[in-house]
Amino acid sequence: MGEIILDVRNQRTAFATARGMLNAVDGVSFTLERGKTLGVVGESGSGKSVLSRSVMRLLPGNSVVPSDSKVILNGKDLTRLSETELRRLRGPEMAIVFQDPMTSLNPVLSIGKQIMEVLMFHMGMKKGPAKEKAVELLRAVGLPQPDVRVNQYPHQLSGGMRQRVAIAIAIACEPDLLIADEPTTALDVTVQAEILDLLQRMVKERNMAMILITHDMGVVAGRCDEVAVMYAGRIVEKAPVRELFNNTRMPYTAALLSSIPKVTDPPHRKLDAIEGRPPDLINPPQGCPFAPRCKFAGPECEEQVPPLEGPGAHQYACVKPLGEEVAA
Amino acid sequence: MADVTSSGNADKDDGKPQIDRNALAIAMHRKSRSFGLYFWIPMIWLIIVAVACVFAPLWGLPPADEIDWAYIQSPPVEGHPLGTDNLGRDLLSRIIYGGRVSLTVGFAAPFIGVGLGLILGMIAGYYRGWADEVIGIMIDAWLAIPGLVILLLFSVVFGGSLFMVCLSLGLLFIPTAARITRAATLNYAGREFVLAAKAMGASDFRILRKEVFPNIIWPLIAFVLIDIPIAIVIEGALSFLGLSVKAPTPSWGGIIAEGREVLSTSPHIALYPTLVMFLTVLCFNLVGDAIRRRLADVREGAI
Repeated sequence: MGEIILDVRNQRTAFATARGMLNAVDGVSFTLERGKTLGVVGESGSGKSVLSRSVMRLLPGNSVVPSDSKVILNGKDLTRLSETELRRLRGPEMAIVFQDPMTSLNPVLSIGKQIMEVLMFHMGMKKGPAKEKAVELLRAVGLPQPDVRVNQYPHQLSGGMRQRVAIAIAIACEPDLLIADEPTTALDVTVQAEILDLLQRMVKERNMAMILITHDMGVVAGRCDEVAVMYAGRIVEKAPVRELFNNTRMPYTAALLSSIPKVTDPPHRKLDAIEGRPPDLINPPQGCPFAPRCKFAGPECEEQVPPLEGPGAHQYACVKPLGEEVAA
Repeated sequence: MADVTSSGNADKDDGKPQIDRNALAIAMHRKSRSFGLYFWIPMIWLIIVAVACVFAPLWGLPPADEIDWAYIQSPPVEGHPLGTDNLGRDLLSRIIYGGRVSLTVGFAAPFIGVGLGLILGMIAGYYRGWADEVIGIMIDAWLAIPGLVILLLFSVVFGGSLFMVCLSLGLLFIPTAARITRAATLNYAGREFVLAAKAMGASDFRILRKEVFPNIIWPLIAFVLIDIPIAIVIEGALSFLGLSVKAPTPSWGGIIAEGREVLSTSPHIALYPTLVMFLTVLCFNLVGDAIRRRLADVREGAI
């Protein structure tokens, strides 16, 4: 067991909307150890990104977080810190890489300036050393010709290069926790693997912990230690990555996995999409939120929200988990 | 890991020769975007006027309020290249010293207005909520007072100080500047790079200064360029009405007003300052247009 970096306990994030309270994240708990990567998977609107922003405490003004939600980073409860105290942690202790590097970099500042800014603010570095460090960081993230690139603007870089720059900014102050919020969704498939390998290398080299958020099961497969599948703001299945793929218990996870088209499929085969839409988070259905779309759902599924439980590291929130029909 | 290094090299092989090959094309493109004669001819006039006004004491001109009893209301003669006004004061000297007033107001007023408007607009656009409401109401109230009334009020209360003329004119530019800034700030405050900066621990002030400001500076520069000639014209109108700097301090509008009284006998007294003012305002507009076009190019193409 390594040192626990992040401990999220019963995180709930709701948004006050004109129609009512929207429960985007509804009671999520997990812990993350140093050097480990947690994959968070789910379809659009399942609360993945809100979860990442809840951890960073970067929520918009209309969000409501109840007082029993706790985010403990390196022993400090982020929910109790003031904005000024949080500001000092963002960067040196936690950092985030956003989805779209086209928009997450400032178009009118050179990339060097954007990296130096962080170094000068958090590490108290002077301009000269900060620039040297920026070049060094760009080299570390595999940007070619870092000493030339450092003076260039985001528009002079390709999408993959920009994401490398965003990663360089995120790791500049050696954070303990790195959140990658769909870091490859906006990139070409050919660049995706490179960026994911880079992130994984950075986590190993710098001994960080990473939360890798994605909607792509393929992304988490080789690169995470543990995977949490989210649905309607809840974690519905959580297991070490091998266990999850080999021994899927939650029908939603199984449906996600089977919706990936296979190369071996015959041409023009109908895609195995999950029927229906994700539930309305303002008026969620009774019981298991996945029940209305679940092939295996029975009347018992609609009685109550199943808790996330299970033997050992493999936990799932399902009344009728897969692979138990035979035993029963 | 092996993946990353090999792909890094591939990028390198790809990037380097490409930059060299395109150097010529880039150079040609630069040339096609350079300022033309419509920029440089008016610019030269503006430089002449600016140098003449800024270094006025160096030209060995007679003081602007010195009366030459030998030549009163005289057409151009030796020693008075543009003649003298109805009190026998050297017209060239008065126009040059008057230009100091006009140009000071022309530059100071827009900068005061844009400076204050920038602060208000950024606060309103970034923080939204009640700050936005309060500033919005203040601006609407300010707009409801006619500009001329404000100018009159300032000139009556503070009478004739150059700084107060700049300030009162500058105040009139605040509402537009604040609205432009607010709209631009709204546009950029919601962008992901602002969130990214926040995620790296940037404070609000830092975000406004480093992330938002560099992005919204372009429309404001364009606004200042439009306002400079406007301020010069308004200052001219004010001094024509005798509401700007007090006599005997010359200003273009003031000289025109004095020349108006003797228009039938000595038209040159009103003509020269009018001509100088006309050319200067025209040139400011032409230069401003060229710069604004260039800024638009830069924003569309590169940055």
